[in-house]
Amino acid sequence: MLQKKICLLGAFGVGKTSLTQRFVSSIFSDKYLTTVGVKIDKKAVDVGATPVSLVIWDIAGEDEVSAVRTSYLRGAAGYLLIVDVTRAQTLEVARSIQQRVATEIGDIPFLCLLNKIDVENWDIAEARFEELQQAGWTVERTSAKTGAGVEEAFTELARRIVG
Amino acid sequence: MQQELPAKVSESLLRLVDEQRFLAHFVVDENQILVSMGGQPEHYGLADLSTGVPVADQLPFVEGLLPLFETPFLIRSLEMPSGRIADVHMFADDEVVWIVLMDMTAEHDEAQLVQQKAYDMTLLSEREARLIAQLETANTELTLAHRELAESRDALLVTHNRLRQELLEAEKYVRSCLPPPIAEPFVLDWLFVPTTELGGDSFGYHWLDDEHFALYLLDVCGHGVGAALLSVAANQTLRSEALPQTDFHNPEAVLNAMNRVYQMELHNDMYFTIWYGVYHAPTRQMKYASAGHPPPILVCGPREARGEVQLLNAKGPILGMLPVTRYVAQTFVIPRESRLFVFSDGTCEIGRPDGSMLDQQGFEEILSRPVAAGASELERLLACVREMHGEETLEDDFSIMKLEF
Repeated sequence: MLQKKICLLGAFGVGKTSLTQRFVSSIFSDKYLTTVGVKIDKKAVDVGATPVSLVIWDIAGEDEVSAVRTSYLRGAAGYLLIVDVTRAQTLEVARSIQQRVATEIGDIPFLCLLNKIDVENWDIAEARFEELQQAGWTVERTSAKTGAGVEEAFTELARRIVG
Repeated sequence: MQQELPAKVSESLLRLVDEQRFLAHFVVDENQILVSMGGQPEHYGLADLSTGVPVADQLPFVEGLLPLFETPFLIRSLEMPSGRIADVHMFADDEVVWIVLMDMTAEHDEAQLVQQKAYDMTLLSEREARLIAQLETANTELTLAHRELAESRDALLVTHNRLRQELLEAEKYVRSCLPPPIAEPFVLDWLFVPTTELGGDSFGYHWLDDEHFALYLLDVCGHGVGAALLSVAANQTLRSEALPQTDFHNPEAVLNAMNRVYQMELHNDMYFTIWYGVYHAPTRQMKYASAGHPPPILVCGPREARGEVQLLNAKGPILGMLPVTRYVAQTFVIPRESRLFVFSDGTCEIGRPDGSMLDQQGFEEILSRPVAAGASELERLLACVREMHGEETLEDDFSIMKLEF
């Protein structure tokens, strides 16, 4: 089976681990547990008739003192950039990470996921998302809590990787 | 110059690291096939790995990393299938790649505790900052709304003052239309206290000829400028005797004519009550008619004694409601030493603070009281109803005429 490495990137607390757990195990916990280092999971998806085994790197979030190690993306076929819609600054972190990855790793497929769409108080104006789309980003909306858009996002990334 | 450690020390340290870090190692050849393994792979849940098969199929973290693009390459704190946390050291050696696992679970757990607290605090302070920002925004909006409200209030106050001034002007005009009190051949005095909203009361009197004296008081429904305008217009009609082919000596003819002219559908649905009387001085006969108006009160007897009360009743519906209405006049001979009070309902229907009303008997009782020499019984009546009402401002026009014979 085709095996592809993908990474989940973003600021701390945006829901990378929750999205992975939702996708891999269909579970969700409201309790926030920070990730130190890396967690790796696997799940197979079908891209058309082609089964693809995704090796998912859930990498510790970026904060003010520690940046994402872009070297962890070596060999990655694509990545998901996660933004927490209730925290505007997580969008800036995502933009910063994307620029570094593009510089150090190159142009590989990625999707930007606006996570926590189940929460009412959004901190990011709709116009910002439109700006991203105009800049060529593919922006999807997800909720690890409800599962909305999660399966679709991982499958879409796999589809783009396989081409 | 750095010296190599003695063999004994190196061996001791290696044993120590091996014991504490549960070292495990894997060797991968140039074809990315796992060729050998050693140490304690079972500690990481990797005891069942097979040699001779692609390493990435058995160690997913290797996927995409081989051949190594940099050596050594370190993956810090990687969660293993057993749940242990390992630092993964990868380095190339000739044509093979070494993968060494070192248990870092204790350090990971400690770091996670610290990081968890730091992130929780950061998320809390971010939430606090957002709440503060929301509060500041709300406060700004509130301040703006307050300012707009204050501006609206000021503008409203200006408008209110202008309207109040115009009402005062209107009241002044209404008052200017009232004739002055007279002293001969009988005393006629009056009191007119309009409500703050300007009411619909007005009255008048004049000699029709040498012997006949007409007097009238009307009360338009409702309050305000509209009611006052109609009241003044009706008053002027009577004062100038401006009803064609109408004998103003005849009260029923006057009210019938007024009823034709002042039908409510022609006057913004407003109607009024009116009492119209003609006093014939030589015979002391009062001929009068009423359109839904309170009956005047005649108090007979000397001023200084309690008087005897008589009502000048007359039947007739409110003026302006039905064009077919026909009013009927009554006559009454006014005795000497008597006072006739003609008034509007706002003068006698006085509400008390407890919700009760001054009744007809109570009103008659006040009017029948003895009057001290030189005192004004109209002022006394006004003071009395104000005290009864409990507030300086009355709810309706207070209008009363007194003829003293």
